[in-house]
Amino acid sequence: MPHDHAHGEHEALIIEDEAGNIDAQIVVDALQQVLIAKGLLTAHEVTAAIAKLESPGLHLGAKIIAKAWSDPEYKERLLADGRAAVQELDIPVTEARIIVVENTAQVHNLITCTLCSCYPRSILGQPPSWYISKAYRARSVREPRRVLKEFGLDLPDDMKLVVHDSNADMRYLVLPEPPLDFKTLAATDLEAMVSRDHLIGVARDVA
Amino acid sequence: MQDDKGSKGYHDVGGDPAGEIPKVDLPWLHWEKQVEAIRGLLGDGTRRIVSLDEVRRGFESFGIDKYNSLSFYRRRLEAMTDILIEKGIVTQAELDSAIKAGTTRWSNLDETP
Amino acid sequence: MTRFAVGDRVQVLALRKEGHVRVPHYVRNQTGSVTEYCGTYLNPEELAVGKTSGPAVDLYRVAFAQRLLWPDDLIPAQDTLVIEIYDHWLTPAQEADHAP
Repeated sequence: MPHDHAHGEHEALIIEDEAGNIDAQIVVDALQQVLIAKGLLTAHEVTAAIAKLESPGLHLGAKIIAKAWSDPEYKERLLADGRAAVQELDIPVTEARIIVVENTAQVHNLITCTLCSCYPRSILGQPPSWYISKAYRARSVREPRRVLKEFGLDLPDDMKLVVHDSNADMRYLVLPEPPLDFKTLAATDLEAMVSRDHLIGVARDVA
Repeated sequence: MQDDKGSKGYHDVGGDPAGEIPKVDLPWLHWEKQVEAIRGLLGDGTRRIVSLDEVRRGFESFGIDKYNSLSFYRRRLEAMTDILIEKGIVTQAELDSAIKAGTTRWSNLDETP
Repeated sequence: MTRFAVGDRVQVLALRKEGHVRVPHYVRNQTGSVTEYCGTYLNPEELAVGKTSGPAVDLYRVAFAQRLLWPDDLIPAQDTLVIEIYDHWLTPAQEADHAP
């Protein structure tokens, strides 16, 4: 049975122990078996679906950001219609819409989903565990500056902080400011500088 | 003066007091991917059997104890199962039988030298 | 023709709807500004109970001053929160003066 490991003043993330993981594997296998027996799925479909789920990740997000930094017209298209611009790079997007929010010298953006864990999964893969935690979801909207401090980001008081709660059909990516020497760097170098934390907004400065 | 805003679900945590954010990034396990894969297939254009909205309703209806005691992907698995049973697509008995068989297989594996 | 335009001041209703809703408590009864019209989407409240044939609903992004959302906290005046709200949860704001 899964149980809460860390008891304390803070809300822990519920993490399965080994028994919990085995139990869950048995249950999902049982469910899959029952569904296959009813002709609703095939094992091959599940395997293929898992492979598809595994393929997106940070590398795709980094590719989008690096392209936006190097190509101003692409950046404008990305900000106007994120989904279409991402698909230009042969990245399949399943979300209805992707909104890319741009950091500037005056503005910093932070993404959250207070109700569950909405995240641009078809581009970035699964969100980090902390993003799903109750503590992040609860505090990211109310005290985002303190949350950012916990991630090591101290925003100036006069900077504008915009928090985006992705509670409905939109999904968000933060476009961080480029590094100062971005014009001299190759695409692969630019891509290497982008982390998932930048894309969610808990980090700001790119290398 | 506090207006009555209707009942607040336990999942509706925006603004609630909470402690330090657990800075962990756990690996995504096979069973967790399988849960998402199955949910995605059941919700796809050819099937439309369980939608993400129904899964959300599912875990929002667990009750606070169940919600607080399950990991994120276990919640998704339980919610999906609840919806499938609710809709009569699978029965608890069918599931229990398959789980029992699976548990036996697993423990046999353990005993194999 | 959508009910609201970008820039309109709107208030989020505190509909006492049971079941699955996507409007968090912290924005109910709050007043903000429409920043974007997102298009029409099937209503998750209906989808959650398997009703897939209903009409699509207009969805808007609405920005709120964080200071107004959390009046007891010390927050810079320029900080905002933006969230997506479906048309039936919004009403035109009745205000004497306009907040930023």
